[in-house]
Amino acid sequence: MKKLIASVAASVALVIFASIGSNARASGAEIHLDHWPEARAHDLAALQNGARLFANYCLNCHSANLMRWNRLQDIGLDERQIKDFLIFGNQKVGDLMTVSLRPRDAKAWFGKAPPDLSVITRARTSFEYKGTDYLYTLLRGYYRDASSPTGWNNVAYPSIAMPHILWERQGPRELTIERVLHVEDEKTKTSSSVRQLSVFDDAGNATVTRTPLKGHFDESTEVSFKPADTAAARQFDSDVADLVAYLNFMTDPSGATRVRIGVWVLVFLSFFTVLAWWLNRTYWKDIK
Amino acid sequence: MGLHKTEYKGLLGWFDARMPTLMSEYKKHLAEYYAPKNLNFWYIFGGLAITALVMQIATGIFLTMNYKPDAASAFASVEYIMREVQGGWFIRYMHSTGASFFFIVVYLHMFRGLLYGSYRKPRELVWIFGCLIFLSLMGEAFFGYLLPWGQMSYWGAQVIVNLFGAIPVIGPDLAVLIRGDYVIGDATLNRFFAFHVIAIPLVLLGLVVAHILALHDVGSNNPDGMEIKDTLDPKTGRPLDGIPFHPYYTVHDIYWLSLFLIAFFAVLFLAPEMGGYFLEWNNFIPADPFQGPLHIAPVWYFTPYYSILRATTEYFMWVLAAFTVAYALLVFLSLKNSAARIATLGIALVLVVFMVVPGLKLDPKFWGVVLMGVSVLIFFGLPWLDQSPARSIRYRPGWHFWCLIAFVVIFLVLGYFGTQPPEDTRNLMSQVLTFLYLAFFLLMPWWSRMGEFKPVPARVTFAAH
Amino acid sequence: MTESNDAVDDSRRAALLMTGVVGGAGCVAAAVPFVASLTPSERAKAAGAPVVADLSQLALGEKMTVEWRGKPVWVLRRTPEMLASLKKTEGEVADPASKRTAFPTPAYAMNEYRSIKPEYFIAIGICSHLGCNPLGPLAAGAAAPLGNDPGFLCPCHGSTFDVAGRVFKNKPAPDNLEVPPHKYLSDTVVLIGDDSKA
Repeated sequence: MKKLIASVAASVALVIFASIGSNARASGAEIHLDHWPEARAHDLAALQNGARLFANYCLNCHSANLMRWNRLQDIGLDERQIKDFLIFGNQKVGDLMTVSLRPRDAKAWFGKAPPDLSVITRARTSFEYKGTDYLYTLLRGYYRDASSPTGWNNVAYPSIAMPHILWERQGPRELTIERVLHVEDEKTKTSSSVRQLSVFDDAGNATVTRTPLKGHFDESTEVSFKPADTAAARQFDSDVADLVAYLNFMTDPSGATRVRIGVWVLVFLSFFTVLAWWLNRTYWKDIK
Repeated sequence: MGLHKTEYKGLLGWFDARMPTLMSEYKKHLAEYYAPKNLNFWYIFGGLAITALVMQIATGIFLTMNYKPDAASAFASVEYIMREVQGGWFIRYMHSTGASFFFIVVYLHMFRGLLYGSYRKPRELVWIFGCLIFLSLMGEAFFGYLLPWGQMSYWGAQVIVNLFGAIPVIGPDLAVLIRGDYVIGDATLNRFFAFHVIAIPLVLLGLVVAHILALHDVGSNNPDGMEIKDTLDPKTGRPLDGIPFHPYYTVHDIYWLSLFLIAFFAVLFLAPEMGGYFLEWNNFIPADPFQGPLHIAPVWYFTPYYSILRATTEYFMWVLAAFTVAYALLVFLSLKNSAARIATLGIALVLVVFMVVPGLKLDPKFWGVVLMGVSVLIFFGLPWLDQSPARSIRYRPGWHFWCLIAFVVIFLVLGYFGTQPPEDTRNLMSQVLTFLYLAFFLLMPWWSRMGEFKPVPARVTFAAH
Repeated sequence: MTESNDAVDDSRRAALLMTGVVGGAGCVAAAVPFVASLTPSERAKAAGAPVVADLSQLALGEKMTVEWRGKPVWVLRRTPEMLASLKKTEGEVADPASKRTAFPTPAYAMNEYRSIKPEYFIAIGICSHLGCNPLGPLAAGAAAPLGNDPGFLCPCHGSTFDVAGRVFKNKPAPDNLEVPPHKYLSDTVVLIGDDSKA
């Protein structure tokens, strides 16, 4: 029996590892995603800061129709704080986080209705990357692009319809995109590798240079930002981490409770298993 | 006075005098059902399957109290259950985790059948009822998956219903009949809700009862494969190697149930999404009829068959046609009856014509559906495909075991490939694996008879513990 | 090596007992979320939340209605004549001191006016007989069943109530109109559904 399990496991593992190579790069995000600092998920101060940022910046265009204001009590706020500091307008603390922007109007104005954010971190997760990492990279990945309709573009979501709402907090930055591309020569029909450097200054003007590479390289994309104010940029990174922490909480508000209860359930079941094993033995020991 | 004579006292006696069936059935199926004493780990999965069924029904009832089967409110009602119904998240996760665990348990339960020849005579009916349960379970899962009305729900249903549309002549009309509309919509959701909540559960319950009654009528098989009823105690008439199911297997099952629950609740509380396999990420996006997800794949328990469906391409049809001809020849040479021989050649000819003859051939899309169907339905044929002189793998040649392991690996690899987007190398491998999968079954009447078999003992092998 | 039958039975019994008790506790714990799911959800609790009523625009003798928990809650601004009539109806109503407990009257309404402020009468506008909505406030002599007292008249079966919601004697309705929990947030703003001190 051990042989059986071991051999099956080994074969499956071999095949999976063999196939994994072809899936390393995700669709949707061509660049390597930054890692969102997961410790923020349990930091009440971070979650509260994130909630504040969410209510101030996001909750005008984006709705969170499945989330109730009074659920914010789970992250340490009381009804008074929620009503006074987070709810603008005349919603009650027991209401859902709806917005007055109609999807129909949004589609006409922006080209795409801003998605509801109630379950956004799960919705943006895939087999290849976590939704939290994606959103953390997205919200910090804007750059000025004079050729786009909003004047903004995003390294994690090219030609994104959403403008950079948090631009004031991030400050101006210069972006360098370094790509290795395969180009096919029309005449000789051979493929060669080329390095393309695109530099976007903080007004959105792009300077693109191409240099041919000797030898064959895989296609790749690397981005690097140069902020004018590094301290502001670092504070911004932290704020976005808090905002993503809040979005993560909002997606699954019962998450923390679930894990807490789960540990106790497993402890109980382990104890019960010992008893069940003992019960089994008291009967089976007289079967010869 | 019309009362039955009873050996029981008190309230039980009162009941037994009026409905002796209760106690007589209890004795027949529990206290005096003599099961082999050497049943091992592989025999826990039947009881666990019943547990999974009960859990799904119980959680399903409570979910139905708050779920709204309406395209406009279904998605929100699921999140309402998760966030606003007290304890709702627990009930929902139990149902979603339970669905995946049900399939894990059922696949392991079926594997036991392959290991020990549980489907062999006289237990063919037990196996057939079981295969019908498996089909019903697949239907139940398919209908249930539309209900959350996420992207995967919608587009998965769209793809599967379109498969029915691939059937020649009647296909498109059949697809409209299933959907109740020209596209998946509110009409489809409502009827799938009815199927999922009451129609198929009733069928499942009926089939499970039939499955167990058929088993108890012939008695359980065991890892050594011999019939324990062949060696009876001369005094009591009971099998020497048999022990009453209750209390021995009830306490045995309670122990293993406890271990199963640890695994189940570990997933439920600590990783209910299971990396996107039990709760798919795309399903947290509300269904959008105008924009599908980047790649649509069924839930993990359907992926092996999905791989087989996808593997069927134009090129592969030629390979299949060649295999059909070769197989027909093999069958022809093995049969003696001239009518059967002619029938074999005739069927093969018809199949090959519809596979590859230009003008008459049917789309690979259709043949993909056929192959997918065959890969599931072929399980029904095992009692007749398996011609091994020994029931249990223990007494069959060692390489038979490796054939079985190979089949398991093929099944798992096809399953993994089914979760991945289409890609040339994987597609080629899927075609090879599909061929091997079918060969495992279709060539079984021959390979199951080959090799050196060990003598099957008259009494079970059992070590006291 | 083999225990005697008694010892086997004892160990079986002990194991059965312990497993049964612990298993039973586990089953009860597992049942908790299912039973809990039957209790009011967050949406139900939010919908049943207290309601604020602004009385600044309410004229003398007028009645306004606010919805709380799906029920109509009346606020009647009583005139001096209405208040005076309460002394007269004291002897004509079935439960003048609101002693009955089917719909307990809150402590702050256990007075001659059945309200915190004499001027404003707050009650749920549902007849205690079978649930219809009484008509009113009707002036004295406006309807025959009410006679010479101002009050409310239920059109379904003819129960009558005075302007403190007390049911008159010998009418189908057994109880006075229910006074909901409430508290004043200011002189003209009342919170209906919450009477906590906080």
